[in-house]
Amino acid sequence: MFWQIFTFELKYRIKRPATWAYFGILALFGCFIFAAGGISGSEKAHINSPFIISAILGIMSIFGILISAAVMGVPVYRDEEHKVKHYYFTYPISESGYLLGRYFGSMLILFLISIGFHVGVILGVMIGPGLGFEEPERFAAINLWHHIQPSMTIFWPNLIFTGTLFFALVALTRKVFISYVGSVLFLIGYLLAINLSGDLDNQHLAALLDPFGINAFNDITKYWTPVEQNTLVAPLTGDFLTNRLIWLIASALVLGFTLFRFDFTKFVTGGKKGKKVKAVAAETSQKNLLDILPSVNLSFSNSLFVSQLFSQGWLEFKNILVDWYFRAMIIGGVIFLGVDAYMGNKIYGTPSLPLTNYMIESKNGTYIIFVFIILIFFTGEVVHRDKTLKFSQITDALPVPNWVTYGSKFWALTLVCIFMATLVIVVGVFSQTLQGYFNYEFGKYFTDLYLLELPNYLQLTMLAFFVHIMVNKKFLGHIVSIGIWLVLFGINSIGEFNYNMALYSYRPGYRISDMNGFGHFFEAQNSFNIYWLAFGGILLLIGNLFWNRGSESSWKSRLKLAKQRYNKRTLVWMIGLLVLWIGTGAFIYNNVSVKNTWMTSKEGEKRRADFEKKYSKYKHLTQPKITKVTVNVDIFPQERRVLAKGDFVIVNKTAIPIDTLHFNMAGSRPKILEATIDGEELKPGILDTVFNYHRYVMPKTMNYGDTMLMHLTIESAHKGFPNEGFGSDIVDNGTFFNTSIFPSMGYSTQGELTSDLDRKKYDLGVKEYGLPEQTDSIGTCHLLFDDDADYVDYEAIVSTDPDQIAISPGYLQREWEENGRKYFHYKMDSPMLNFYNFCSAKYAVTKDVWKGDSQTVNIEIYHHPTHTQNIDRFIKSVKVSMDYYTQNFSPFQFRQMRILEFPRYANFAQSFANTVPYSEDFGWVGDFSDPEDTDYAFNVTAHEVAHQWWAHQVTPSATRGSNQISESMAEYAALMVLKEEYGEEAIFKFLEYEVNSYLRGRSGESKFEKTLMDNDNQAYVWYRKGGSILYALQDYITADSLNLAFANYIKAAAFRAEAPFTTTLEWFDFIQAKTPDSLRYFLDDSFHKITLYENRMKEATYTDLGNDEYEVTLKFDSQKIYYDGNGKELERGLTPNLLEIGIFAEDGKNETGMTKKMPLFHEKRWIEPGEQSMTIRVKGKPVKAGIDPYNKMIDRVSDDNLMNCEEGE
Amino acid sequence: MQLTITNLDKVYPNGVHAIKNVNLTISNGMFGLLGPNGAGKSSLMRTISTLQEADSGSVFLDDMDVLKDKDGVRRILGYLPQEFGVYPKVTALTMLDHIASLKGIANKKERKEVVEALLQKVNLWQHRNKNLGTYSGGMKQRFGIAQALLGNPKLIIVDEPTAGLDPTERNRFHNLLSEIGENTIVILSTHIVEDVTNLCENMAIICEGSVVAEGNPTELVKEVQGNIWEKSIEKSELDAYQAKYNVISTQLKAGKKEIHVWSDSQPDASFTEARATLEDVYFHHIAENSSVPI
Repeated sequence: MFWQIFTFELKYRIKRPATWAYFGILALFGCFIFAAGGISGSEKAHINSPFIISAILGIMSIFGILISAAVMGVPVYRDEEHKVKHYYFTYPISESGYLLGRYFGSMLILFLISIGFHVGVILGVMIGPGLGFEEPERFAAINLWHHIQPSMTIFWPNLIFTGTLFFALVALTRKVFISYVGSVLFLIGYLLAINLSGDLDNQHLAALLDPFGINAFNDITKYWTPVEQNTLVAPLTGDFLTNRLIWLIASALVLGFTLFRFDFTKFVTGGKKGKKVKAVAAETSQKNLLDILPSVNLSFSNSLFVSQLFSQGWLEFKNILVDWYFRAMIIGGVIFLGVDAYMGNKIYGTPSLPLTNYMIESKNGTYIIFVFIILIFFTGEVVHRDKTLKFSQITDALPVPNWVTYGSKFWALTLVCIFMATLVIVVGVFSQTLQGYFNYEFGKYFTDLYLLELPNYLQLTMLAFFVHIMVNKKFLGHIVSIGIWLVLFGINSIGEFNYNMALYSYRPGYRISDMNGFGHFFEAQNSFNIYWLAFGGILLLIGNLFWNRGSESSWKSRLKLAKQRYNKRTLVWMIGLLVLWIGTGAFIYNNVSVKNTWMTSKEGEKRRADFEKKYSKYKHLTQPKITKVTVNVDIFPQERRVLAKGDFVIVNKTAIPIDTLHFNMAGSRPKILEATIDGEELKPGILDTVFNYHRYVMPKTMNYGDTMLMHLTIESAHKGFPNEGFGSDIVDNGTFFNTSIFPSMGYSTQGELTSDLDRKKYDLGVKEYGLPEQTDSIGTCHLLFDDDADYVDYEAIVSTDPDQIAISPGYLQREWEENGRKYFHYKMDSPMLNFYNFCSAKYAVTKDVWKGDSQTVNIEIYHHPTHTQNIDRFIKSVKVSMDYYTQNFSPFQFRQMRILEFPRYANFAQSFANTVPYSEDFGWVGDFSDPEDTDYAFNVTAHEVAHQWWAHQVTPSATRGSNQISESMAEYAALMVLKEEYGEEAIFKFLEYEVNSYLRGRSGESKFEKTLMDNDNQAYVWYRKGGSILYALQDYITADSLNLAFANYIKAAAFRAEAPFTTTLEWFDFIQAKTPDSLRYFLDDSFHKITLYENRMKEATYTDLGNDEYEVTLKFDSQKIYYDGNGKELERGLTPNLLEIGIFAEDGKNETGMTKKMPLFHEKRWIEPGEQSMTIRVKGKPVKAGIDPYNKMIDRVSDDNLMNCEEGE
Repeated sequence: MQLTITNLDKVYPNGVHAIKNVNLTISNGMFGLLGPNGAGKSSLMRTISTLQEADSGSVFLDDMDVLKDKDGVRRILGYLPQEFGVYPKVTALTMLDHIASLKGIANKKERKEVVEALLQKVNLWQHRNKNLGTYSGGMKQRFGIAQALLGNPKLIIVDEPTAGLDPTERNRFHNLLSEIGENTIVILSTHIVEDVTNLCENMAIICEGSVVAEGNPTELVKEVQGNIWEKSIEKSELDAYQAKYNVISTQLKAGKKEIHVWSDSQPDASFTEARATLEDVYFHHIAENSSVPI
């Protein structure tokens, strides 16, 4: 019995077009993803590496829910749908034979469909190299095992699970609707769970509970280096194996339950039960039965038509609201909005206050996907509703003009758009209230959602509406609509073409800030919105002509109808919309392509290559050094314009005579209005306005020691709006720009292409390092941050609008008002780096004073008036930093420390001399109420203050590894300050982030990982590895020793006025001097090599000895592994390492309320590599024990260092 | 009023010639369209109801060009399609009120009156507040009738209106039709011959797209009287008779077959002259014009 049903199912399904449609969709998808470059990661990782294939198969299983619901939901439902059940079940077949036959038949088909994906992938990999999205060397040869293994461990078990689930749901409920809604809800639920489980402390639980095994897979693979990604498949062991078994057994149980519960009779009879109809008392109030129908007056006026339009639209809208699919999607969207709004903007795991800005931005999270799906899907529903219901035969013959029906449909969808936009506000306000935040900024909400976002939703709808009308088939309409978006998306993100005017409904990005509100973005946003609404209007107008009214759908009759409908009014509208569209188009074009420049990313790449080819010959050209800077900068915030005049004293510090000056401008915006040397006009030799690299002839040759005065007048102004980019340096409120407004002298390697593949493409030769070796004589002659000067004297007069404060490094000498403008005169009384900023905003100022043993420092915080809640943290951090750094390193070189807030167009803080501009998003609005959360405002402030020593006092040379001297040192210093204030627990929490970022950084490395000694461009090494290594080092040799080494280093290297400047070689010498010989191995492992530990507990048991004494036996494995820069294992360490062993009681809390480990035993011991055991006696009941329990060493699996103790035999 | 159809022709994209050069003149009163399944009745009715285009020919309602002035036609039209659906989650009352407003009844009070009256006429009054999705086939059909009669239509086109109605409801519908004012054209398609006999002053028989007969039912019956002959035969003899005579219909009667044969004179003595009915007219014309044997 089973066999006949099984084979019939196979034969039936194999001929169904749907089967091949799904197969084709998956194949297309696979082909598209892989041909276009797959998931971007390291350049060194293959596009079709087994890791990527596995990861994408995991993602495909999530979206495969929809396909498995469609395939596995129908086999039983088919008999219900076509009413076959009424006789089919009278045949002599058994229930289990029937069910299993259908189940296995369909499951086999599902597997067949799943192969479509692999076919697509293989095809994609074969054609990919030819298409040119990615370099041919990024595609590896096809290895079938890399397809089969992940399919067997990930893809197919997941299909079995979801397929079984939906099969069971439909078989038991008889409702295919359950399977559709269920699939969407399941999908939503799953994405949500993934989102939330990221915060789960218990990674094992998260790994086991995930029905798709993605968490377990990620735990295994997250830190894989490119080499590992290219060669390994995730081994089916541990949590991954357990997970797969759990969910396969779950599938079997679900199937078993279905077999047990399924019953033919119920299936046949149960369907009709439904709700009990309320017995309506037959109303005898048949009133006066008229013989003749009352006569009525008919009227057909435009006003009636309009009211018909709205009432019909409303009816249509209500029909959408009661749709269960709609409700399911809305619930999903709301959940995601809520999660995005609630989880919000986390930095280092610490939440931000639920500002209206963040609430609004939650619309761009997962919610936008729901908006897309809802709008496309329900546009189809609305357009085709009457036809689908066969009600159109009646409505089409009613005496309403086309435009009324047509308009009513669009009006209903407009209401849906308004509804979707309003939801963002409702959820936002709800979320804020829930978090006890009541500063609802309704002005921002309404402006953003109704003025800026709603038009975008309408544009989406207009296109979908047009497509559905023209295609005139619901399903095909959905496919075409989604297809158009995929194509647009593909052109934009894969084709890297971002010209917004050419991509329907695209517009430049913008950002709302507390400081600058909607800023300067309205003009661009509104222009683009009008431009696309006009275009959408044209589509609607065409759609109206082809609106399918009546019973025929052939193109012949639709064309005929369109001709009948076409009239003067259509023409007038068409011309009007065209004029509007072309008009705004011209306006936008003038802004983005005439007043501003736009180029594709390919053009940008080529430009960088050409620039290098043309000018890199001047790399070592000798240019003078600036020794004194006096600037006059006028900021015009409203006009977004700056006029900057600078007098620079320049000197030739070399023996090589200088007769040309090379000016390298940061961009095309700053214009040189005037340039003189010693009062004589500088004559341009060659003005290169393509690359903004200009060569001037010096009026007089500069010989060694010659000093001249260079004067420059620069104007920089934003004109119109660009295609993309915030243009955030000069804004209404919150201007922040730096030295780069003036040209830099000579060629800079900063703009050179770095990717090996890109460089090969342009015949540039691989560039392994951006900086020369530490011993290089030219490199040590220049400073890392700026080669135009060593130390300079600095003075600035900055003017701005009268209601703003303008700031630049130095001490305020005088402020005054003149000609309706406010002037500020700053002067620095000691030499500083040639690196200065200009900020201007409507600031409120909070002042404080730090008093040290022999020093007093004025602390000034310039902030947005409403951002007051965390100011104490900034001030506290400055004070604790001053304490720590002056005691341990050296005195502070300035008398004042200032922190300035700037708008959230960028998210960083930067340390200039006595001045730190600090992004609005980076602490000012953080919510630090939970003591378990990292106080990153405190930490980042400490880091920036530390740069006053490490970068401003010790100024590293332009050689490899120099960044470690500024960044690793600042990171280390900040950690020590954090420890002072928050205790060591806060450090461990922070180090977790550091190590995680480091390991992730190296797994995505496109060149090769560099060491602390020679790293010149890898931030994950200089911040993350540097911080954690230096912290571990002070743990080994004591903070006092290490700090003494740094204090000695400062003594030797600080304020070095002349080359050669300091390098990592010098830095390392000081560190090494304070490190005992026994620990030299750690220095070597950490600074010269790439070394990871694999410490793992195997067993922890204790025996109760009485008297609260216990004997604990730990069994563990310890390995130390060396890697090359590509992440390939080189060798394993064979000598003992000094590692911590710890035994702990229950966790407690520290003074600040943070969870703290309570050690019963805690000691460093020399541990031989390999498996071993150790017995230790402790007082107090042991709960946990581990090796390197605080994760002070870098270890890819950090959570197996510690385990719970169990009572032994 | 008079509806004049001249040389109307329509070929569907799939090649079906649905309307072949149809010429008809229809005056006030009830006009019946008879024809087998797929004869083109619905196509013709849809064309008059503005729902589809004709390839050639014209349709005029007095001076109004039906094929061009669609809005004009729709304002006086009441149309019940052969097959239609409803919004499942809307009540009959709401839906009829909405349709009434679309038909141009702007006055709320009038609309309420006429909708309520119609609901009573079609016997849906007690179900007026139920969602249309819960309606049975017959109730849905009555809802369709009600919507067609909304707004004093002058041209009523009903496509198989009594399909699915029980005998009581069918009678009720016939009564309702007969109440409709005099100055109205009612075109009714059916394949129940009896309906036409009972209701229509005029009729046409359509077969494979063409009008094969037209006129007053009684007149048409008269025309064939004398040409219809009947005989009772064994089932097994049927083939032989069909080969020899122009058999227009067969019917089982007490285990035997009663056949009607068309002939100008008595075929042979075993045949007796039948009392002609409209059914004979129908079968005769169909037999004569159909390319497939009945």
